[in-house]
Amino acid sequence: MLDEDVAEATLDLAAMKADTLLAEVRLEEMNLRQISIRSGQVSNVTKSSDSGMNVRIVLSNGIGFSSSNRISKSEGARLVQEAIRQAKNAKRRSPVSLSSERAINTSWEVRQKRPLVEVSTDDKLEYLRDLDNAVMKTGVKVQGRYYEQRDYETACLFVNSEGSRIRSLLPRVVVESHNLVSSKGETEQSVREWAATGGWENVEAWALEKVLADEVRMLKRQIDKGKKVKPGVRDLVCGPEVAGIAAHESCGHPMEADRILGREMSQAGKSFVSPDMIGKKIGSRYATVIDDPTVQGSYGYYAYDQEGVKARPRYLYKEGLINEFLHNRESASMMNVQSNGASRSEFYLREPIVRMGNTFVAPGDFEEDELIGSVKDGVLMHSFTEWNIDDKRFNQKYVSREAYFVKDGELAGPARKCILEITTPAFWGAIDAASKKVVLTSGECGKGDPMQGMATDMGGPMIRLRSVMLK
Amino acid sequence: MNELKELARHVLEVARAEGADDVVTEAINSSIAQVRFSNNQIDCINSWNEKHVALFVAVGRRVMSTDLRDLDSKDSLTREIVALAKKAPPSKTYGGIAKGKFKYRPGKIDKRIVELSDPSKYVLDAIEGAESAGANNIGGTFYVRHGRNAIASSGGACGSDESASVDLSVRAFVQPEASGHAVCCAAKLSDLDARGIGEKAGEMGVRAKNPVQGEEGKMDIIMEPLFLGSMTQSTSHMMSAMSVEIGASMYAKKIGKRVASNAITFVDDPTITSTSRRSYDHEGVPTRRNVLIKDGVFKTYLHNTSTAKRFKTKTTASAGPLIPTAYAMAAQPLPFHPVLTPGDWKLDEIIEDTKRGLYLNNTWYTRFQNSNTGEFSTIPRDAILRIENGEVVGSVKNIRISDNMMNLWKSVDALSKTAEEVYWWEEASPPSTLPIARATRMNITRSS
Repeated sequence: MLDEDVAEATLDLAAMKADTLLAEVRLEEMNLRQISIRSGQVSNVTKSSDSGMNVRIVLSNGIGFSSSNRISKSEGARLVQEAIRQAKNAKRRSPVSLSSERAINTSWEVRQKRPLVEVSTDDKLEYLRDLDNAVMKTGVKVQGRYYEQRDYETACLFVNSEGSRIRSLLPRVVVESHNLVSSKGETEQSVREWAATGGWENVEAWALEKVLADEVRMLKRQIDKGKKVKPGVRDLVCGPEVAGIAAHESCGHPMEADRILGREMSQAGKSFVSPDMIGKKIGSRYATVIDDPTVQGSYGYYAYDQEGVKARPRYLYKEGLINEFLHNRESASMMNVQSNGASRSEFYLREPIVRMGNTFVAPGDFEEDELIGSVKDGVLMHSFTEWNIDDKRFNQKYVSREAYFVKDGELAGPARKCILEITTPAFWGAIDAASKKVVLTSGECGKGDPMQGMATDMGGPMIRLRSVMLK
Repeated sequence: MNELKELARHVLEVARAEGADDVVTEAINSSIAQVRFSNNQIDCINSWNEKHVALFVAVGRRVMSTDLRDLDSKDSLTREIVALAKKAPPSKTYGGIAKGKFKYRPGKIDKRIVELSDPSKYVLDAIEGAESAGANNIGGTFYVRHGRNAIASSGGACGSDESASVDLSVRAFVQPEASGHAVCCAAKLSDLDARGIGEKAGEMGVRAKNPVQGEEGKMDIIMEPLFLGSMTQSTSHMMSAMSVEIGASMYAKKIGKRVASNAITFVDDPTITSTSRRSYDHEGVPTRRNVLIKDGVFKTYLHNTSTAKRFKTKTTASAGPLIPTAYAMAAQPLPFHPVLTPGDWKLDEIIEDTKRGLYLNNTWYTRFQNSNTGEFSTIPRDAILRIENGEVVGSVKNIRISDNMMNLWKSVDALSKTAEEVYWWEEASPPSTLPIARATRMNITRSS
């Protein structure tokens, strides 16, 4: 149990200075269990507990953040001294300001139908071996088979000098797979992740035995029957996984206000978006992208961010227009708006920064077969392998993992390594239809220095892009 | 330091008394301060203080690892882990830990780094340097690191090590799409020229002014050490035996085969003075210089004791952290400090010898279609200078290198005489010592 007395005593010390704009104290405890198998054999079993605390002091001329993996009043006092010294040393030229937010006094947690802690190591190993057996039974030659399962609960106590007191408990569960399929002297690789907040019931719902068996069969089919796409302008139907990565990379990231303001300039980079672009056109009327941390059960779920601001859906692109940035309290203040609860931290040793939650393209009003049915000559890109985007988030590339030719509205055999290399406005501007059903996939988003891996979901419906260059 | 050694040994003894056969404990005490800056001013000063013990135990072939972070409960937690190991499923491929009488050569640290209480001065110097060179928007990070470490194992490892270093990264914009990036890594504070690094980034930004849209096609690329550091990261991780085992390496079945041009001799050397110098790997085996590629021919994978047994060879003293991380499996053999042996070219000579090419300051987001075959792309950032007939004639933007990583190394035909240590964020990582390199006829693509 995280000790309220330690948090309050530390906060009292931190808030004592008259010129303190804000003091925050965060105590965290995490219990992690992890198991992996390689080619059917146990590779690693890990169980660990971690707890610690941090102090963030905001003065008018600087911010100091100090953290430790010890929780005690004396350690808290030391962290306060260190954070104040650091904040003073910052000597900012322009004063720090924060958006005014109301104090929150609450507690929240994600319930587990089948608690993660009650699933034994033996049961988890059996689960992974079942995955391995399901892949082996396909008869497909899978040289590299690595499956990993981990789960953890993070308990947090957040207090600040404005009166917020928030307790939370967030369980998460993750399965990762690496498969290398070979056939006819060639190989195809697949690296995938499934993740959620909640208990083991999520793992059961994923039905990964079938999913992974289908995956390796598909990769073999790509090798055996896949044909290269002849470079040219064609229609492209993107599956939810591809729509999701585009939503994350070329909408979510460029719409992070700290990036727009330059705070990530030397690492993850800036943004092609500038503060004055709210309301400017970025795509077609189907280009609506939402970032919503409140999706129940999603990997990126949270109820309050790590500055104590209530989470809510943010419409980043709305019907083709740049609509709302992702904010923490500092960036919101700089743009004269309220924070929309996007401040997140990987764990207690890291400062909170602006992050996505679950980013997805909004559903449309088409059936999936309608989207494909009106394509004369095109490609359906279900999923991707290589991808990247430049640091202003303008030039992106997606290479298909699973793709099919579309001829006269019908699927016409596997297309291998179809490449879309396109600018952000060109991508979002080419969409002329979206299907009704949104599917989310999970991923670890990277940002910050040191890198903070962040639990996120991304996804969307099936979307159709007209007349784009495919390679 | 004695306290850490005692801590490592104590946890070892508790685990052994509880019935563990193989035990490795690594006690770690680290303090890191970081200054983050952007828009020519400091955003935040962070610090992280950690003291913990990484623990690996094996009962027969039943293995378990943990990170003991609540040291008040270390004895009970250790007993719990051994008890869990006894019940854990056996790992048929477990090959044990290193055994022997190990001697270590601990490094010397610069106490000035440890005693540095206000690192902001160096950041302000770097910003001034970049501004003096012509930049108007400057950001980056400055790290001050101090780590102490002790290791003990049932195989006979017993040692301690200490490190202290600083690293500065400066990105300087002259125009919204014209920037330069420079870094400095130093184990001695006197080796840090913060203003000079700022100037270097600023000067590169000035050279990148007024970029035009880049062209697609085959071009020679001249890669600065910072760019090469990202290529080295991807490449050296594939040299891990575990990467080979899970099908994530283009070096599978390549021992004794040509994997690079004659110009390439690629070494992992944690023994030289650097910011990632270390005396022993995470099993407690004394580190050593490992030649991985010699004159273009692949020599060995990186091994720990267990992978070495599976590959019927000996450990290369490359065991990685006992606890899995976001980027590595538990104890995955990893490079500690890659070194690319320099060549005999001056930079001017390389440029003069290039008919049609690009000079590349930095890159990011290197991703593979299939790491088993090596098809990849990476996105150059900061200065991308266009070279025609031996001269820099302007700068370009919005390009991507889309090629094959094995082909990149096979295409290197010129290396500079001098090398420098680079480390930047998650890209040029771990710290590596690299020259400037030219690769011929690489495939350049861009958005349509």
